[in-house]
Amino acid sequence: MFLILFLVIVLGLLAAAAVSVLHDGLSARATPSALETAIARSARKMAAPSTARSAKNPVADSLEVQREARLHFADHCATCHGNDGSGDTLIGHGLYPKPPDLRTSQTQKLSDGEIFWIIENGVRLTGMPAFGGTGSEHGGSDDSWKLVHFIRHLPALTVEERLEMEKYNPKGPDDREEEQEENDFLNGAPAKPPSKPEMHHH
Amino acid sequence: MKLPSIILLLAVVIALPVFAHGDKKHVIGTIDKVSPDSVIVKTADGKSVEVKLAPTTVYVSKDGKPAKFTDVAVGQRVVIHATPKGTELIADEVKFAAAVATATPAH
Repeated sequence: MFLILFLVIVLGLLAAAAVSVLHDGLSARATPSALETAIARSARKMAAPSTARSAKNPVADSLEVQREARLHFADHCATCHGNDGSGDTLIGHGLYPKPPDLRTSQTQKLSDGEIFWIIENGVRLTGMPAFGGTGSEHGGSDDSWKLVHFIRHLPALTVEERLEMEKYNPKGPDDREEEQEENDFLNGAPAKPPSKPEMHHH
Repeated sequence: MKLPSIILLLAVVIALPVFAHGDKKHVIGTIDKVSPDSVIVKTADGKSVEVKLAPTTVYVSKDGKPAKFTDVAVGQRVVIHATPKGTELIADEVKFAAAVATATPAH
């Protein structure tokens, strides 16, 4: 009886998967289903070994540490996570699974050690790379512990802090040109007629 | 039992996705109308674009200092970074410059 029930469930899920793939392909633009999200969160919880979970942050928090980590985050992490940690970015939307909103309890309830471990080691089959190890431009493990302090602060990020971070976000030539045009316009330069109706894509 | 478990996991992982929404837009022009819910921007090509305001909208003066909704006024030059939601644009950031005073011709 159990085997029949199991086969029915498997066949049902395979049928749903087949319909989904035939309809949408394996597009990364899709949003993971609730069940998939729950499985991924459980996998993330299990990602860090138990010894790493209980590790304590050896770096004391301070205003200087917060600023250093904030600008580091703006430069290294915000492309996917956004300056505010929401994940509401062009790259974030294009990832599968999407980056988690770091401000919510799903991330905030992880231990310091777990967050540190994820920064250092990444998460397999996601867009989260491992920033630890030799040859990394990310810096030593102290930088990751400082980022843990900043991630704890994200739910209380101020507008002033966010605006400061924007100056440190990586920008390509097109972004810089667009930013310059916007600033010139705000400073009184004539507006350039948009190449597309009134809007510019990022 | 291992193979059925893998098939089950793969099926769950692939099943039932929903499309995500689009990317950000920039709206550049002069403020034509302001209300607590939205601003209407007249763009360089003469079109009027309505952008909805949200509690999460951030207001910034042109020198990068935080500002408030009450600082926004008709006639100001504005650059709005917005997120499309359905047919609407929701403002993430409204950056504005004070309106340029129009010189009155001397008689």
